[in-house]
Amino acid sequence: MNLENQTHTVGDIDVLVIGGGIAATFAAIKAKEEGAKRVVQVDKGTVGKTGNSCFAAGVIHVSFPEDDLDDRVLRLTRAQGYLARQDLIRDHLQDSYTILEEMRRYGVRLVMNADGSYWRMAGRGAYPIVSFFSTQLMDALRTYAQSAGVEQINRLCLTELLTRNGEVSGAVGFHQRSGDFYVLRSRATVLATGGTYYKGIHPGHRDCSGDGFGMAYRIGATLSGGEQNDQPANAMPARVDVGPGMNKWMGEGAYFLNGKGERFMVRYSPKLKERSGLPQITAFFCIEVRQGRAPIYMDARHFGPEQMERLYKQLPLPMREFESVGVIKDGKFQKQVEFCSTGPTTRPGIVVDRGYASRTPRLFAAGECCPPSAVVTGLAAAATSGARAGVSAARCARDAGDVREDEGQVAEYRERTFAPLARSEGPEPEQVLLELQEAVIPYDVLLLRDGARMERSLKRVETIRDQDLSRIGAYDLHYLRLCHEVKNLTLTAELTLQAAIRRTETRNILREDYPFTDNVNWLKWIMVRKEGSQQRWWTEDIPIEKYPCQPKREVELAYLWRVARDQGNVSVKDGRIQWESEK
Amino acid sequence: MGIRKIDLSLCIGCNVCVDVCPMDVIRMDAASKKAYIKYLRDCQSCCLCEVECPEDAIRVTALPERIIVAAW
Repeated sequence: MNLENQTHTVGDIDVLVIGGGIAATFAAIKAKEEGAKRVVQVDKGTVGKTGNSCFAAGVIHVSFPEDDLDDRVLRLTRAQGYLARQDLIRDHLQDSYTILEEMRRYGVRLVMNADGSYWRMAGRGAYPIVSFFSTQLMDALRTYAQSAGVEQINRLCLTELLTRNGEVSGAVGFHQRSGDFYVLRSRATVLATGGTYYKGIHPGHRDCSGDGFGMAYRIGATLSGGEQNDQPANAMPARVDVGPGMNKWMGEGAYFLNGKGERFMVRYSPKLKERSGLPQITAFFCIEVRQGRAPIYMDARHFGPEQMERLYKQLPLPMREFESVGVIKDGKFQKQVEFCSTGPTTRPGIVVDRGYASRTPRLFAAGECCPPSAVVTGLAAAATSGARAGVSAARCARDAGDVREDEGQVAEYRERTFAPLARSEGPEPEQVLLELQEAVIPYDVLLLRDGARMERSLKRVETIRDQDLSRIGAYDLHYLRLCHEVKNLTLTAELTLQAAIRRTETRNILREDYPFTDNVNWLKWIMVRKEGSQQRWWTEDIPIEKYPCQPKREVELAYLWRVARDQGNVSVKDGRIQWESEK
Repeated sequence: MGIRKIDLSLCIGCNVCVDVCPMDVIRMDAASKKAYIKYLRDCQSCCLCEVECPEDAIRVTALPERIIVAAW
C-alpha cells in the first residue's frame, strides 16, 4: 500500500505548528502577527475539534490586575511542590489577562456581567474563575487563525521531526484519508500536541497520546522526567462516558461521598473541601479507596434551576451525556454519579526557556507538551505559552534561509511511518494499548506509588516496547494512526515510570516507600534525553535561591501523608507507610 | 454504546460529523452519500457529532463501548 502513496512536499514554511488545541492555535496566530509569512498548522484530527481544548470544562484561570500576583505565583508554586519554574509561572500569570482580552477580540464569548465586566465564579482553588461557552471558544479561535492567514491541514498525522545537523527542519507524516506521505520543511517548529491520559476514562481526550513527547525524544530533545504534575490525575465519572466538568460541578457546590456516605473531603481539607487542588483530591481519593471506602460518588442532586441553567449553558456536552444515560432528567440530577481518578497525567515534557524554545535549535513547545514545572495544566497557561512560543518561533524563522533535512532521512521516516501497514498480521494496536493501560492506569501504580510496584509496571511496559512495538500491525490508515499513538504512549509510560522510580520522596504524589518530602536533596528536576540508542538520565538543581518562593530546607513527612495520619489512616514504620486497615 | 445509530432518513451527507469526530469514528459511504459508523469501538461519547449535526440525525449514549481500565 505504501508504495502507491504519493509524497507531497510543503516547503518554505516559516513556522510549522503541530497540534489543534488552544496552545497550537495561539502559537499559529501569534507567529503570523509577529510577521511570519507562511504559518502552517497541522492536526491529526480537525483544528479546534481535537485534544483537550474543545472539551475544556468551561473555565479559565486568569490572574486579574486586581489579584495579588505574588500570592498567585506562590499558590501555583506550592501546587507544583516547589518544582515550578517560577519565572515562567510569573510570565504566564502576567500574560493571562491580556490573553483573555485577546480571546474576546478574536471572537471568543465569555460570561460577562451586565456592566461589561467579567463574571467570575468560584471554581477549584482560591481565586474565582472566568467562564466561557464550551466549544464556541475553539471554534472562534480556529476561524480567527484562518482569517489571519494561518494554513490549516487536518487529518494529517505527523510521525517524526526532520533535522539538519541537529536543528529541527520540519516534520513528516501521513494523511489519514488519502494515505499520502507529507514532507513539511520549516524554519521553526512548535510542538503543541498536549499531554495524555493513556486513553483512559476521560471522554474528549482519547486522541491525546503524547505524540509530541515521542517525536521530540526521538531526535534527542531534552525532556523533564515525567514524574510530576500540578494535576497528577483528573477525576471523572467512572462508569459512564461523561467529559470534564468537575471544576464547575464542584464550584456550584457538589459533594464527594465515599462508600459509607461520608463527605470525606471535609475531613481532609476543611477549608476548600471539594474545591481543593487536584493533588489533594487525587491523593485523598486514593487513600479512601485503599482503606476500603470505595466507591466514590459525586452528589449534585441538590442543584436548583439556576445552577442547572448555568451548567447547561457552559457545559452542554457533559450535561447532554448525563441526560443520555438518565443521570439528569427533567433538568435535575436524579442520581449520584460514581467518580474515579483518570489515568495519570504526569508528563515528560519538552524542556523550554522563557521564550518556549527547547534545547534543540529551531524547536519550540507550548501547552502540555512542556513539563508541568513550566506550564501548569489548563487553558490559560496553554494559551499564554502558545502565544510566547509563536512569537519566538516567528523570530527564529527570520534568520534562516532554505531548509533541508539530513540526507536519507525522508526515505527512512517514510518506511518507518508506513511499516505497520506491511504487517497487518502483527499484534493489533488495541490489544497492545490494553496491556499498556493495565500497566499504568491502576491507581496503585503512579498515583499511590511504591518502588516495587512501579518496577513491575516498568517491566510490562518494556516488554511492550521490545516485543510488541516492532511487530504491531495496521489493517488500514485508521489503525496506522493507532499504531503510532500506542508507540508514543508506550514511550511516555516508560519515561514516566523511570522518573517516578527515581524520585525517592513524596512530593504532591503519594509514595508509600518514601513518605517524606525531601527539601534538602530533592529540589531537583529529573531530566532525560536520547543519546545514540541510550537513554541518559540526570538531575538539575532548581535555582531555588533565585526564586521568590522557597520551602524550608528540611525533610519532613509529606503534607498529604500527615493529613492521612492525623485522620487515622496510616502510620509510619521503618521509614515507610503502614495502613491502619492492615494492622 | 457511544454513537450507535445514524438516522439515514435524516442524514444529508454534509460530512460535518466526519470532519468533527476527534477519533475518526465516522466515514461517508461513497455510494449512498450517507454517514456511517466505521470504528464504533473508538467512540469516546464526546457528543460533538450529535451537537453539530444540522439535521439532528445522530444520538450518542454516554456508556463506554470499549473495555476501560480504570483506577479501581
